[in-house]
Amino acid sequence: MSATGFTGIVVFVLFMGLMIFFSIINKDREENNVRPIPGYDKINQEINVAVEDGTQLHISLGRGGITGPESAAALAGLSLLKQVIEKSSVCDHPPVVSTGNAVISILAQDTIRGSSKAISVGDQRRNPSGELIGVTPFSYAAGALTTIRNDNVSANIHTGWFGNEITWLTTAGERQSSSTIAGTVQLPAQAVIYASASDPLIGEELFAGGAYLGAGKMHQASISTQDIIRWIIIVIILGSVVLNILGIDSFIEDILAGSM
Amino acid sequence: MNIKIKSPISTAIAIGVGIVVLAGYFIPSMNDIRFILLRTGLVLSAVALLVGIINLLTVHIKKLGAENANSGYSLILVIALLVTLVVGIIDMVQTYLVGQPNFQMTNWVFTYIQMPIETSLLAVTTVSLIYAAASILRKRMDVFSITFFFVILLVLLGSFSIPPATLPFLHVIRDWILRVPALGGARGLLLGIALGTITTGIRILLGTDRPYSD
Repeated sequence: MSATGFTGIVVFVLFMGLMIFFSIINKDREENNVRPIPGYDKINQEINVAVEDGTQLHISLGRGGITGPESAAALAGLSLLKQVIEKSSVCDHPPVVSTGNAVISILAQDTIRGSSKAISVGDQRRNPSGELIGVTPFSYAAGALTTIRNDNVSANIHTGWFGNEITWLTTAGERQSSSTIAGTVQLPAQAVIYASASDPLIGEELFAGGAYLGAGKMHQASISTQDIIRWIIIVIILGSVVLNILGIDSFIEDILAGSM
Repeated sequence: MNIKIKSPISTAIAIGVGIVVLAGYFIPSMNDIRFILLRTGLVLSAVALLVGIINLLTVHIKKLGAENANSGYSLILVIALLVTLVVGIIDMVQTYLVGQPNFQMTNWVFTYIQMPIETSLLAVTTVSLIYAAASILRKRMDVFSITFFFVILLVLLGSFSIPPATLPFLHVIRDWILRVPALGGARGLLLGIALGTITTGIRILLGTDRPYSD
């Protein structure tokens, strides 16, 4: 096994160990001590608005599949979809779900079916759609515009893999005077979201949805684990700078080169 | 026949395949199994695309009707999809059975219909991005939005290349913004995204997140 492979296993075991540890010690804790993220507060607020006004939410899951680097964003979107469907079960109109990837479309429909069954929403006509609306960036954006322009849609939640075409979706939401909560993992698109969405989710905030929408202790444990690892990374970066200044950084370079 | 795989079996398959694929990255002897599973996943993705397109067609056929205000768009989509499908089938027959040059009609559709449409939509995106940047201060008048707005202006002003419009000190400021705060911020965001990606993957492997019905 190479040094890289060994390091990978150590990192994986460290993450998994910390997540299990935090999920166990937080098992009996009721309060959710996480910093406020306006985007998730807005989602909870918009679910209440949809219940009271008889409107519906639009959740777009982007174009990410499950076999590439975009898979984590797509899976985070599916996790958020599950929570929103469960929380909006008493709405007159269920959320509308759109995707730009066939696999995610099938998984979204499966998530919708499973969540609807779990909350005893048996009427198939009430179940949200989860349809594939386009497989290229612009065909997806153009297809989603029809849903955003629906007068009954009170808020749009865009989470997943989007490029610059997301500006179409966020701008259309603004013209409809509906709230737009948006998050993606592509950096240029994050700049677009910051400028055009009413409630942007920046960086890793996209992956924190479960912890803020009550998806369970493991989601809160994920946040705690990320914080611990973030501190470790900060210490490593600062340590490397100090070593570099002191001129003894060849040791680190040897480790990174796998020649230890 | 309605086949229903019970949740524990589908969960066990998902976790097992995930662990084997992950182990393949770290343990060289498991590379072959990893590639077999990944290739199987790619084939299933292609089948899923077919299912998704059938789903898309079904949804839009259902939308056709006088009571739907957008039925005209649905009609265009259905016609375009069927015409492209027929063109693709004819091209396949001509290429593989008759032996004519590769996919001429399909290439024509992509070159003269798909590409101009996508290019013009890209141009519209530019306008939309300018509108978004210009309207940020109307949405949120705070210190971050003001900084964001003026950084956009500085980078644009520093990007001119025709001499009368160029100002040397703006080039320096633009380069500094791109190389120091923008690059540093981007790396910080990427590290955060990487951490989020790992924890999302581990939740799937542990079976606590299941993007499939229970």
